[in-house]
Amino acid sequence: MRAPAAGDQAAREILLSMENVSLSFGGVNAISDVSFDIRKGEICAIIGPNGAGKTSMLNVINGFYTPRQGRITFKGVARAKMRPYEAAERGIARTFQNVALFRGMSALDNIMAGRTLKMKRGLLWQMLRYGPAMAEEVEHRRVAEEIIDFLHIKDIRKVQVGRLPYGLQKRVELGRALAMEPELLLLDEPMAGMNLEEKEDMSRFVLDVNQHFGTTIALIEHDMGVVMDLSDRVVVLDHGVKIADGTPDEVKSDRNVIDAYLGVAH
Amino acid sequence: MLYREAGQYKTSYQADQAVFPLLQDRVGLLVILFVAYVVIPLTGNDFLINAVMTPFLIFSLAAIGLNLLTGYTGLLSLGSGAFMGVGAYACYKLTTYFPDVNIIIWIVASGFVAALVGAIFGLPSLRIKGFYLAIATLAAQFFLEWSFTRVAWLYNHNVSGAIEVPQRTLFGVPITGPNATAETRYLIVLTIVVGMTWVASNIVHGRIGRMWMAVRDMDIAAELMGIRLLPTKLLAFAVSSFYCGVAGAMMVFLWYGGAESTVFSINQSFTILFMIIIGGLGSLLGAYLGAALIFVLPIVLRFVPPKLGIPVHAATVEHITFMIVGALIIFFLIVEPHGLARLWQIGKQKLRVWPFPY
Ligand SMILES: Nc1ncnc2c1ncn2[C@@H]1O[C@H](COP(=O)(O)OP(=O)(O)OP(=O)(O)O)[C@@H](O)[C@H]1O
Ligand SMILES: [Mg+2]
Repeated sequence: MRAPAAGDQAAREILLSMENVSLSFGGVNAISDVSFDIRKGEICAIIGPNGAGKTSMLNVINGFYTPRQGRITFKGVARAKMRPYEAAERGIARTFQNVALFRGMSALDNIMAGRTLKMKRGLLWQMLRYGPAMAEEVEHRRVAEEIIDFLHIKDIRKVQVGRLPYGLQKRVELGRALAMEPELLLLDEPMAGMNLEEKEDMSRFVLDVNQHFGTTIALIEHDMGVVMDLSDRVVVLDHGVKIADGTPDEVKSDRNVIDAYLGVAH
Repeated sequence: MLYREAGQYKTSYQADQAVFPLLQDRVGLLVILFVAYVVIPLTGNDFLINAVMTPFLIFSLAAIGLNLLTGYTGLLSLGSGAFMGVGAYACYKLTTYFPDVNIIIWIVASGFVAALVGAIFGLPSLRIKGFYLAIATLAAQFFLEWSFTRVAWLYNHNVSGAIEVPQRTLFGVPITGPNATAETRYLIVLTIVVGMTWVASNIVHGRIGRMWMAVRDMDIAAELMGIRLLPTKLLAFAVSSFYCGVAGAMMVFLWYGGAESTVFSINQSFTILFMIIIGGLGSLLGAYLGAALIFVLPIVLRFVPPKLGIPVHAATVEHITFMIVGALIIFFLIVEPHGLARLWQIGKQKLRVWPFPY
């Protein structure tokens, strides 16, 4: 548990606000009337049983899905519809539940691809790869190398990511998201399928990102130990409905949450 | 351990971001350029220059063009033959209307016309991919081919229905038409192909190349990086068609000396596609290797056995070529999608640690 964050929570500015968001696929309600806020600088965990709508929620936040109803306000701007590239432009980055790296590219190129929006030189300069274009390339290579250092993936920077073990792929994917220097980072089960040591490393990275860069993080995770350790606040979904929202301690002792996790019939 | 990077530490990211970070690679490249620019023109006969090297280079350029689209951006196209045709006809019309402007300028400029046409036919790529996109480009192929035969304006209403390349000069030396020597035409082709390969290599190693590969490997994640899919795909279509267009213009103006629409048929599209499959998808070197194999193989089969006293029939050569190319395509599609270029890399890797197994 991270004591300091809990106290000043109310004082923090709201970064993302979801109001009465609903999403359905055909007849299935993936998300029903869910509202919650994510505040600047916090780590907010979204938890819930399988099929609860967690991934769908991230997909709504970064524009993959357009909600059937509801309002999403990010950095004070409300919107009904937003394309994923617009979300990226406004500072939302994300990793995927099933790693979605650019498999044919090296780890370094994946991270460099995360810098795309920051690079401005157009086709003509790119054709020459000289002068300002090269300077820009080098400048962003430097940032990419900082991320590579931070994640301890120096040895594999030139390896095609498709050939890396799963744990490292997840790390490169985090690196690619960090390269975007996002204000809001959405992590969909960053530790799924990892062994204990890898989980500890990944938890460390997530905390460091949050503390050193001040990045706000929304995290989906099934491992309760990790959730309790990392998050400032927890939002619990079940069958597309929000059943709890509070500090890890509050949520842990919540009747509804215990029922949902123990599978008590509603 | 002749070929290795040991000791070649990069002192700056700039050096490491270079296209050829290894000294051996740079030396090799210089040797190749020396052979191409000096040795071949001085020692090669007309046959080598006109029937082997010039077309090999032109096909390589077209293969680079298709590889930018299919290998780097992951968009399968069966229209490269037609886009080559657009370049050829555009060049023909441009030099007809403005005969005083240097033909080399028109050859390169015709690439822009091809780029525009390519981008227009690339529009469906936002909605459809894979097999369906291939069919859409096939429609482009047939439509353009139809235009090349039916729109008489394109070939200046010649009775033959063919483009006839007029004589054009550079500093008083004929470079197109019947009076241009094979060496002159070869050197022009070589210069254009080398220059455009250099540009292609710069593009694929930079931001735009990474955007293309990102779209190829995982388009949803690419969009999430802020990459807009439609402009990125259209740019790939445009640049790819530019390369094919210039290749087509050179094919007619600097090699054939004249052409009918059948040159730009679906067969041409398939030939180019086979080149990049065998050479290696997503590799510029692969475009050269594929063009060499597919174009040079039949020539070798045709002319080497008779020299050794084995008579072969032209039809037999054709059959053997079909069989070998067919087998290679199946081999590479199944076993090594990255083609000859990948085998070359593996070879280099082995050489790097030689004589040790690891
Ligand atoms: N593209 C889709 N089309 C149809 N139904 C979908 C789609 N995506 C999600 N669903 C449905 O929406 C519901 C919520 O799915 P979601 O993937 O958001 O769950 P989750 O909480 O991320 O689960 P998990 O822990 O297994 O990842 C599920 O019932 C799922 O079947
Ligand atoms: Mg999920």
